[in-house]
Amino acid sequence: MLPWNYGFHWNAGTLVFMGAFYIVLAIVAATVIGAIERSRRALEAGKLEKIRWHSDFQDMAAGDRVCRHVLTGEFLDRKCPHDFDCRQCETHPKLIALHPVRQPAEAEDEICGMWFPLDRFYHRGHTWARPEANGTMTVGLDELASRLMGAPDSVELPQPGTRLRVNGTAFRMRKRGVDVRLLSPVDGQVVETGGADRGWYLKVKPVGRGFDVRHLLRGSEIRCWLMREMERLQLALAAEGARAPSLADGGVPMADIGAQYPEADWDAVCGKMLLEP
Amino acid sequence: MDKEFIARGVKRCSEPKFLLWILPWIALLAFGLYAAALCLVKGLNQTNMDNRFAFGLWIFLDLTVIALGAGAFFTGFLLYILKLDALKQVINSAVVIGLVCYSGAMCVLAVDVGQPLRAWFTFWYPNVHSMLTEVTFCISCYLTVLLVEYLPIVLRNRKLRQVPEFLVFEFELHKLIYVLAGVGTFLSFFHQGSLGGLYGVLRGRPFAFREGLAVWPSTFFLFILSAAAVGPSFILLTTWMVEKIARKRLVEARVLELLGRISGLLLGVYVAAKSLDTLVWIDRTSPETGFPAVQYYAWKPFGTWILLAEIVLFGLMPALILLTPRLRAHRAWLVSAAAMACAGVALNRFVMTIQTLAVPTLSFDRYLSYTPSWQEVGTFLAVVAYGVLVYSFSFRYLQIFPAERELRVEAAGLEHELHAAAGR
Repeated sequence: MLPWNYGFHWNAGTLVFMGAFYIVLAIVAATVIGAIERSRRALEAGKLEKIRWHSDFQDMAAGDRVCRHVLTGEFLDRKCPHDFDCRQCETHPKLIALHPVRQPAEAEDEICGMWFPLDRFYHRGHTWARPEANGTMTVGLDELASRLMGAPDSVELPQPGTRLRVNGTAFRMRKRGVDVRLLSPVDGQVVETGGADRGWYLKVKPVGRGFDVRHLLRGSEIRCWLMREMERLQLALAAEGARAPSLADGGVPMADIGAQYPEADWDAVCGKMLLEP
Repeated sequence: MDKEFIARGVKRCSEPKFLLWILPWIALLAFGLYAAALCLVKGLNQTNMDNRFAFGLWIFLDLTVIALGAGAFFTGFLLYILKLDALKQVINSAVVIGLVCYSGAMCVLAVDVGQPLRAWFTFWYPNVHSMLTEVTFCISCYLTVLLVEYLPIVLRNRKLRQVPEFLVFEFELHKLIYVLAGVGTFLSFFHQGSLGGLYGVLRGRPFAFREGLAVWPSTFFLFILSAAAVGPSFILLTTWMVEKIARKRLVEARVLELLGRISGLLLGVYVAAKSLDTLVWIDRTSPETGFPAVQYYAWKPFGTWILLAEIVLFGLMPALILLTPRLRAHRAWLVSAAAMACAGVALNRFVMTIQTLAVPTLSFDRYLSYTPSWQEVGTFLAVVAYGVLVYSFSFRYLQIFPAERELRVEAAGLEHELHAAAGR
């Protein structure tokens, strides 16, 4: 084992065998120590939320990871390679240049009986960000998520001064024992907190050069996205044991959808719809 | 009560039902641990092994589970080194199976060797010229690698990943997993080979003795090849069994077929190599040691049927089935062929361990038979129970089949569409 051990010989057999053994041990140890060191640095650099989202994103079903340009019919099939952060994407600006997003004349769009104001940007995790005149962004929950959750039992909002990151945790909600996190649509610093009764949850000021919202959905994209979200909701309900009607049956989603399907695994439905697998 | 430990969107049985499932296995494990404790405390007189049968049921079990557990290294190699991405669906299960097989084998070896207080001697005073030393070192190292590979799977547990340090460490470790896959492949290559090699170098046992390349007898290469061939088959078989027991679809059919195809291809190469090796052994190696090969098969029950069963029934047949796309696409054929391949490697390890020692090698010697004692069987069963328990807990609380959730939603979607269509 070691030169001072009984029976150790400085010969080729010993050197090759023990050399290989020590190299293997060193590689395994270096891998583990390397991972620990990288973890420490990542935590210090505040990458926790980015890693959490990346990890969640990889866990999501392939059908939930499709590119926004699939929703609009520009691609037949494409998985988002950037964890829904179109700011990193080279294809997105090219497609936007080819097919600019149309801003409808109406102030809001009615989709399956739900109203979606068009003065704001929508995140795929059902939060929205509305630019305010004072340069801040108001962050809230869209109509579908509001109907999904109903009146929450509790909301855990970040303290003013908290730094939010795109796709990181914006706030958490609890309903019927299900704890779910809502994704932040923008980078910024929380300046004020609201609540379900005020119609918004957070006011956020930009950090640095202002808000970059290229990754958020807007205008004519919203309808395409929500039609698909309704299909996803039906699938999620069906998979979790609810006897949900199909879109073809007509009707509109009721407030507090969960209360209408007590037999469904609500934890799984919320996780799927709000992108927390 | 344990719902928050179970991944979102997957369905697991109720706690009482799970308890009912694990209780018999816990009882079996307790019985086995008692048997093993007897062996450790009172010594190997508790077994039916003797100076002639120094290797018995335990070594047969070790060789078999190590061969079956090869799916862990081989799947890792195919996924992380050769980038066969479809195998992502079974890699976690392969790691759990590998961990169970190797840790089980180590435990049984510890009982077999005895003297647990001196177990570290093999590392501290190694005989670097012994194949067994290579096996001991490689298996210990590979078990360490498997534990490190298992760690990210555990840390992905829904509750554990809420701890920021665990989440980040799992993420960073997973990024380096290809290093571990490479090391695992290197180690597995040598210990699978050395396990075969240690029989091939037995000059005093002409039934097992083989010629080869440099210091490596042909059995060195045959063991590597056979383990790589049946590893994917065992993953296929266990996945199918878990699907049946849990009554869930866990992986896509194309992944099982891919495992079958890989297994069939390697099994075909193995059967060809094994046949050639047997012919050389019959024609040259054995006669040169003074024993015509046919003599080994004169003692019943080890007739030539065992050789035919090993090569044709459990080698060539499953290889042909797995290599025929039409048969492979049929689940019953696919699973039967995988089971036959696994039985084949178990038979091969049985022959190398038990038949090798049973046949006489000296003129005054006679054929001996060996039946394991209940303590040996008990220890053997403890490993089986331990494996089932580790796998059951892993299946319940860890995401060992990442595609399960998606397949469930897909199936529900189809059903939903059918209902909607029927309604219209």
